[in-house]
Amino acid sequence: MHAGGFGLGSLALASLLQQDGLMAAPVKPATFGEATYDLLPKQPPHEAKAKAMISLFMMGGPSQMDLFDPKPMLTKYDGQKFPGEIKYDNLAQASSKVLGSPWKFQKHGQCGMELSELLPHLSKVVDDITLIRSMTSGVNNHAQALYAMNAGRTTAGRPALGSWLTYGLGSETQDLPAYMVLAHPGGLPTFQGEHYTNGWLPALFQGTVIRPTEPRILNLDPPPSLAGRPQERQLRLLRAFNEQHLSGHPGELDLQARIASYELAANMQTAAREALDISNEPASIKKLYGVDNPVTRDYATRCLIARRLVERGVRYVQVLNSGQSWDQHSALLSSLPKNCAACDQPSAALLLDLKQRGLLDTTVVHWGGEMGRLPVLQNDAGRDKWGRDHNTYGFSMWAAGGGLKRGYVHGETDEWSHKAVVDEVHHYDWHATLMHLFGLDHNKLTYQRNGVAASLTDGQGAKVVRELLA
Amino acid sequence: MPASFRAGGGICQITLGFIALGLGSSVWGLRAAEVSFEKDVRPILKAHCTHCHGEEEKPEGGVDLRLRRFMDAPLESGGTLLVPGHAGRSELVQIIRRGEMPKKGKKMSEPELAVLEQWIAQGAKTTRPEPQQLPPGALISEEDRAYWAFQPVQRPALPEGGLSGGITPVDAFVGQKLKAAGLDFAPEADRRTLIRRVTLDLTGLLPAPKEVEEFVNDPAVDAYERLVERLLASKAYGERWSRHWLDVVGYADSNGYAEADSVRPQAWRYRDYVIRAFNDDKPWSEFIQEQLAGDELAGVTHATTQEAVLDPRRRDDLTATAFLRMAPDGTGDTVDDPKLAKNQVVAEQIKVATSSLLGLTVACAQCHDHRYDPITQADYYRLRAIFDPAYHWEAWRTPAQRLYSLYTAEERAKAAAIEEQAKAIEVDARAMGKKFLDEIFEVEVLKLPEADREPYRLARATVEKSRTPEQKALIKKYPSALALYSLNLYDLKKQGEVDAKMAEATKLRATKPAEGFLMALTEVKGQVPVSKLFNRGDHEQPKQAVQPGELGILSGATGESFKPVALTSGSSGRRLAYAQWLTSGRHPLVARVLVNRFWLNHMGRGIVNTPGDFGRQGELPSHPELLDWLADEFVQSGWKLKSLQRMMLLSRTYRQSSVSAPSLKQDPENRLYGRFKMQRMDAETLRDSVLAVTGALVQDSYGPPSEIGRDPAGRVVAGVDKGTITLFKVESGGKADFRRSIYLQVRRTRPVTVLETFDAPVMVPNCEMRSQTTVAPQSLLLMNDTFVLENSRRLADRLEAEAPGDAATQIRRAWLLLYGEPAPEGAVAEAQAYLQEQTQSLTQYHHDIQHAKGAPKPNPPQEALASLCQVLLSSNRFLYIE
Repeated sequence: MHAGGFGLGSLALASLLQQDGLMAAPVKPATFGEATYDLLPKQPPHEAKAKAMISLFMMGGPSQMDLFDPKPMLTKYDGQKFPGEIKYDNLAQASSKVLGSPWKFQKHGQCGMELSELLPHLSKVVDDITLIRSMTSGVNNHAQALYAMNAGRTTAGRPALGSWLTYGLGSETQDLPAYMVLAHPGGLPTFQGEHYTNGWLPALFQGTVIRPTEPRILNLDPPPSLAGRPQERQLRLLRAFNEQHLSGHPGELDLQARIASYELAANMQTAAREALDISNEPASIKKLYGVDNPVTRDYATRCLIARRLVERGVRYVQVLNSGQSWDQHSALLSSLPKNCAACDQPSAALLLDLKQRGLLDTTVVHWGGEMGRLPVLQNDAGRDKWGRDHNTYGFSMWAAGGGLKRGYVHGETDEWSHKAVVDEVHHYDWHATLMHLFGLDHNKLTYQRNGVAASLTDGQGAKVVRELLA
Repeated sequence: MPASFRAGGGICQITLGFIALGLGSSVWGLRAAEVSFEKDVRPILKAHCTHCHGEEEKPEGGVDLRLRRFMDAPLESGGTLLVPGHAGRSELVQIIRRGEMPKKGKKMSEPELAVLEQWIAQGAKTTRPEPQQLPPGALISEEDRAYWAFQPVQRPALPEGGLSGGITPVDAFVGQKLKAAGLDFAPEADRRTLIRRVTLDLTGLLPAPKEVEEFVNDPAVDAYERLVERLLASKAYGERWSRHWLDVVGYADSNGYAEADSVRPQAWRYRDYVIRAFNDDKPWSEFIQEQLAGDELAGVTHATTQEAVLDPRRRDDLTATAFLRMAPDGTGDTVDDPKLAKNQVVAEQIKVATSSLLGLTVACAQCHDHRYDPITQADYYRLRAIFDPAYHWEAWRTPAQRLYSLYTAEERAKAAAIEEQAKAIEVDARAMGKKFLDEIFEVEVLKLPEADREPYRLARATVEKSRTPEQKALIKKYPSALALYSLNLYDLKKQGEVDAKMAEATKLRATKPAEGFLMALTEVKGQVPVSKLFNRGDHEQPKQAVQPGELGILSGATGESFKPVALTSGSSGRRLAYAQWLTSGRHPLVARVLVNRFWLNHMGRGIVNTPGDFGRQGELPSHPELLDWLADEFVQSGWKLKSLQRMMLLSRTYRQSSVSAPSLKQDPENRLYGRFKMQRMDAETLRDSVLAVTGALVQDSYGPPSEIGRDPAGRVVAGVDKGTITLFKVESGGKADFRRSIYLQVRRTRPVTVLETFDAPVMVPNCEMRSQTTVAPQSLLLMNDTFVLENSRRLADRLEAEAPGDAATQIRRAWLLLYGEPAPEGAVAEAQAYLQEQTQSLTQYHHDIQHAKGAPKPNPPQEALASLCQVLLSSNRFLYIE
């Protein structure tokens, strides 16, 4: 927030220093350069329910009132001028015509959670999920909202959630990257690398992107003549040379990270192929996910791979969409059903599958984007062009497993699904809660930089949302 | 700079970090006295409150917090917003304390609230009288105007202490901050390190062992200076440094956007223009003007461009305008919404132009006022209006319609003459075919009963659609007699004669001079569309008309900008006027943004380390005076890059060692430049250097790009693509496969695997700063990729050829080639032991397997040497620039 400017900083500093009686004392030098980092599994300080996470990230902002947050008022006022006060992005530029959801909602499961007809498969597993209807993510822009939801604050360049988790907990496997990203065949989402950057955490904790089509990881096969012991010998010599080199550059974390990445790469040659190969999964499992259906095939395959990775000890897997395909400023009526059709069955199947393997208790599955959408119409140029604009003041997402409540709906938006009004969950509260599930304290998992301890939720007053905990 | 500088609420941390590193400077005015409304309070209110309370048409609840005096208005609730001197009685504080405000977005942090309270306690005063009237919407405040990046560049005095003892001006600024932080420069790097560093930096290639030895043994005091001169003068310099600009510009040889990602076959001329501009040290003022307005400099519009491209000087100007044609562009391909696709081209191009030259995220204001910087949506469309006559999205020219033929009059006449001859040959061939068929008919018709012959003759001579039913029946009765088509069915030999004749025409056509095209940006004479603001950035909702102009904040800062004057050519003159203003030396951002990028590329870290964003969401300069000094120096010395580079390269800052424990410990991100920042070779440097040490690199410069294709394993490699939908296949393209990476085709949807794996950007639309990742797929590539394996073999072959059978000499030689230093004896011994072991393993391997017949005879010692070369090429010593 440069908006603060330096005058403000100086003041805040002054008061801080006075408080601590440090005004005259020299500022403590930061400790850097000696630390080494690794991906060995680490015991969290508190009891952990969750051990792994699969994030099904939906860049663009899925429309909550068409999927998760039914609002009879919208239907009632459909096509009329919005009667209440609305928080437009920009008053002069917004349409004020209410757009009632064209899709029907129904109660499902024992918990009676209401979901849209666009999510028939999720509807069958509602008793396993927590639905949050009162999310907020700060700034009404994709970039800042993404940074908020994915990296804790609205600013660019910060470490992503997956980096924090692997930094705090290491990995349960040394044969696969601790943090893996499954990209969409249509390309990366907008803001590309920001989705899986390690920011200023050491390079060891950055996400490894897996190619969207076969071969999902290139270069897993050693040349036949070197496979096995000759390559091991090769890597031993390489390590020796690299260690000698590092001794002349003590404390260079990049050099350390690269040495470590060869160890991992060597193990991946066998482990990654096995982990990414779904051909031996039973037909029933493939059918459950929808691998056999062209509409769901891609997402189903990636969800299934995500499960296989978590099963093998990967700490954090993110499954991405391409571009910002949920950003329905127009053509909502045709593109929202299309998006849902591609991912509904696979997402629900992932829950069922994790559950039947007893993995859901220790795995958090998250489904959601960086924002939601407005109750009013955008692009009033014919039904096929209708869309909805951004809304970060109140939107929905769901999560399951890893110590979250089941069959639970948290929070409410106002009668228009515009603003969160009951039990608002800020993006940083969600992150604090996640950290808690993993046995971490979001305030205490810090990284020293420039003399200060930086954390995922950094100075935002984040709170664990106890009501979400099972 | 660390993200804490960008961080939102962690204000105390920001300042602590600042002081800890001794960066507090007069520019930033770190004073902890009286709280100022303008400096301290308003930014807090702007961040949390004024979005609803003041910036919209109707402030929420009637509360407008943009100005201090507005806060005296009575509240609807009857309460008092502000009671000067009594924070506790002010509703402004209380409503926040109660958690009722802000309703949305981030909560106000405790330190922020403390500032607010302190301000009220001190009397809630303003520093200056407030304006009598405010325009609606976001307020460009005095503080916005006072933001550092919008100030005119002023050459600061050099820090005290002067320039004695080999200290350059750069060092004086850097040294001052180091000293304040209790640090010093690292010692100068040794000569071997230095020549490797500067050669890779300036040419993207390793120094040859001979060059290293000459430099190391050069007793002259100016040895390093001469080295820098030699490198700056080399052709490789342009091939390396153009890459940095092409990143920013988003250079690609394909159109992107649509799924087809069609090839952009003429883009390379712009790439060559850029390389030449760097090598010629073309002043950046000219370079920018040509790229923004080369067509207007050349005095042309669309109709006269065809003629102008034949004049070499004007052709250069026109080639440069491809800068404004680099954005992804789906308008020549099949897309869902063609109008949107057009608008998107303009939007992306504006993003490229502004992030590259202004270092501002102007594109954020396409749909609404910028959230952080004082850039309104109207500003955005004023800026866009500069470019609108050239794009004219309602009279759109597709990529194919923007090409201008490079045929000279002679070439055109020659081609026409050849075409005429070819056509004549085709006429002959067709006549010959007809003659053959007629002859055949005369034979065939005799096989018919006498009575049917004449009617059949008549039926054959009648064109098909005019034949009577009787005639049709007759032909159907004797189909084989017709002999009107398919000569090959009657007489293969005669068909062959006709084909041979036709082939003559094809062959002749191939002798036409090759026709090149130039992709350029021009205006259509007299066509100046009315530019409009698009509601929410939606081209379907045009609103008020706007005039071309500079961003308000930038023209306001210096009180001047530019006024377009229509040119006699018929072009609007908007871009030329704008380009001249940008390069006038008075624009607050252009020179700063450019020198910052140059610095970043040399030093591994920008003075502003968000090179595409100098706004409030970007990072603050670590060395603001140095930045200004460099910017001024750049302009004063005629916008010449090479002289600026000399200043940087000859500095102690650049020449220092990359090893410094105190600097690493205290300043790991090297914001103070207390050591040279160790960097991994970037993608192109890595590929080119590997090819160069193996001797395979082909240094043919300029021209159409080398082709790329997908190999059976799914990698994208240099070569000729022979793949089909079901099969990946790529064949050797010969020498072309071994050219420098800058000459490889840049296909947006097919990034070359070796380059992409090492962080070469995919251009959607451009790349402001590359990331430098360290991930396992890179290690896997170095272990198993054919590119590395093949080049390891090549290197081994080279070593064997130079010192046959002499392992120790080969190892020493490899060290010199790759690392530029003699091999330590320990390493030689280690490597020798390794070779022995691997030779044994490989011998065993070949003994155990059945080789196919005719396979080359295995050569275990040579394979072992190749595997050693692979280790050396994969080592950190090779990959990193120290």
